Amino acid sequence: MTSREKIQRALAHQSGPVPVDFGGTGLTGMHVSCVAALRDHYGLPRHPVKVCEPFQMLGEIEDDLGRLLGSDCVGANGRGTMFGFANEGWHEWRTPWGQLVLVPEGFRPREDASGDVYLFPQGDTSVAPSGHMPGSGYFFDAIVRQEPIDEDHLNPADNCEEFQLLSPADLAHWRTEFARVHGEQRAVVSGIGGTGFGDIALVPAAFLKHPKGIRDVSEWYISLIERRDYVHQIFTHQCAVALKNLETYAALAGDTVDVLVICGTDFGTQSSQFCSPEAFDDLFAPYYRQINNWVHRHTKWKTFKHSCGAVRPLIDRFIDVGFDILNPVQCSAKDMDPVRLKADFGSRIVFWGGGVDTQRTLPFGTPAEVRTEVTSRLRAFSPDGGFVFNTIHNIQARTPVANIVAMVDAVRDFNGTAA
Amino acid sequence: MPLLTELTAAVAAGKRTDTVRLTQELLAAGLAPQTIVETGLVPGMAIVGDKFKRNEIFVPEMLVAARAMKEALKILEPLLALAGIKPKYTALIGTVQGDLHDIGKNLISMMWRGANFAVVDLGTNVSPEKYLAAAVEHKANIVGLSALLTTTMPAMKETVRILKAANLPDMKIMIGGAPITQAFADEIGADGYAADAGTAVDIARKLVGAAA
Repeated sequence: MTSREKIQRALAHQSGPVPVDFGGTGLTGMHVSCVAALRDHYGLPRHPVKVCEPFQMLGEIEDDLGRLLGSDCVGANGRGTMFGFANEGWHEWRTPWGQLVLVPEGFRPREDASGDVYLFPQGDTSVAPSGHMPGSGYFFDAIVRQEPIDEDHLNPADNCEEFQLLSPADLAHWRTEFARVHGEQRAVVSGIGGTGFGDIALVPAAFLKHPKGIRDVSEWYISLIERRDYVHQIFTHQCAVALKNLETYAALAGDTVDVLVICGTDFGTQSSQFCSPEAFDDLFAPYYRQINNWVHRHTKWKTFKHSCGAVRPLIDRFIDVGFDILNPVQCSAKDMDPVRLKADFGSRIVFWGGGVDTQRTLPFGTPAEVRTEVTSRLRAFSPDGGFVFNTIHNIQARTPVANIVAMVDAVRDFNGTAA
Repeated sequence: MPLLTELTAAVAAGKRTDTVRLTQELLAAGLAPQTIVETGLVPGMAIVGDKFKRNEIFVPEMLVAARAMKEALKILEPLLALAGIKPKYTALIGTVQGDLHDIGKNLISMMWRGANFAVVDLGTNVSPEKYLAAAVEHKANIVGLSALLTTTMPAMKETVRILKAANLPDMKIMIGGAPITQAFADEIGADGYAADAGTAVDIARKLVGAAA
């Protein structure tokens, strides 16, 4: 059975070996420091690891490492990054924690006297920076650049600058990307951007030089109540553009793609939700439904919804609007017990994640504790398929390599393929 | 007094215009600013905290209520300052060194203000030394440390160590953030842990010995 077949069986809720994703998406990857540590651990050739996602500083999991980790997925990725520059033209950069990595040409960091690092939208150092990494940090955060809000003259078009039709350069990129993964034995996971509504990570628009509209995080959340018509107008425009782009993209992708990442909007906090069920039904559901319906009518792809946190009260709604897959299945959040999730939703949605707690067990536990938790999650989620193993969101910096290896070994042993 | 009850309801519902209007009407009626805060605004924010704990309202509703309260305080605080009236307790808050996340920290800050604590917000990426200097300067009763990242939990531990070593009288340390637990608070010697912004008010009041 190929990796792709393993994933397809799981997505069809058929029992079989548990498939694995490490690095198929920007939501299921590893910090660049962990990738380098794993390469060392397995004795793979040493070289600076590519930072394939500069915001979260995710490292590229090359095929040699992916095979050792047992990964069954490969990503077909878009051109751009969170900062609006393309993932191309690589050069070396020494991180604040001393690691030599490869970063794209547009990654033009500026360091201040305290060692903090700043990145610029589209690599343009003549405008205000849009990303900030503390000197003692391991990740970037978006810098909020909110112009004064004039309530009487808010224009939804200002919040729509980022929603554009695919450009000729995008199309050329996708042709190359699909040629790269065509005939893959692994499942192909992709995403075109612009299909996620109200993703708070994207609201500050670190990729735009002069973002307009509502770009402050708190103001955005307030808008879900007080400026709901404004948000509807943004989402309506965004959805129309996304549907046109999906048509163009699908004509190029065809059956090469297995899974489409639709949305990374987090609806859950550690103990609650970021909006009421009523707000979800009114503001988000109509647009998600249009996107998912289009994909299901025109392709064989499965649609992937990422949301951290305590989203149990919303899972029925995710299913109802047509999502096939839920990630990262944050079992450490309130009411997200794996056994109950599987019993209540497991036949109707695929759990892609939930494999081990990245807040506690993986970074701070022992290898034995990691193995125990991973095995327990595999037992809970794997019966009758509907499960793709992944950690709960990306593996964070400072995670001990012995713990990552313990996790990989536990999955391999569970699948009965240990050497 | 019906107007005070209306004010409480207006804050709890996040009705900014009504909150401001009622505050002005209460002042015009001769009510003391301190009374308006303590018997109008604070109970309104307490309702918000309780509803948030029970998952009856969510982050957006809490932000809208806090904004309404803030508008009322803009009117009342200069009057309180003129009269030399300060909140009884002072709380510092910040996100620990290496961490830039502030949604949770800002929510707690708003809720503490709503509980009539004087709040000094140190922002994000706050070094242990900055926490300590501010705790001394403001004679803080509560120092709140927030962290979203597992990678910055060690900075939280170090900050607690330095603050504890200073042996400041009457200062209690509270911690919170997505990866934080009561067990971690116990491990690093923090005095309190709050799982959400509503609970943070209860814990802070308990730690300073304020009446429930």
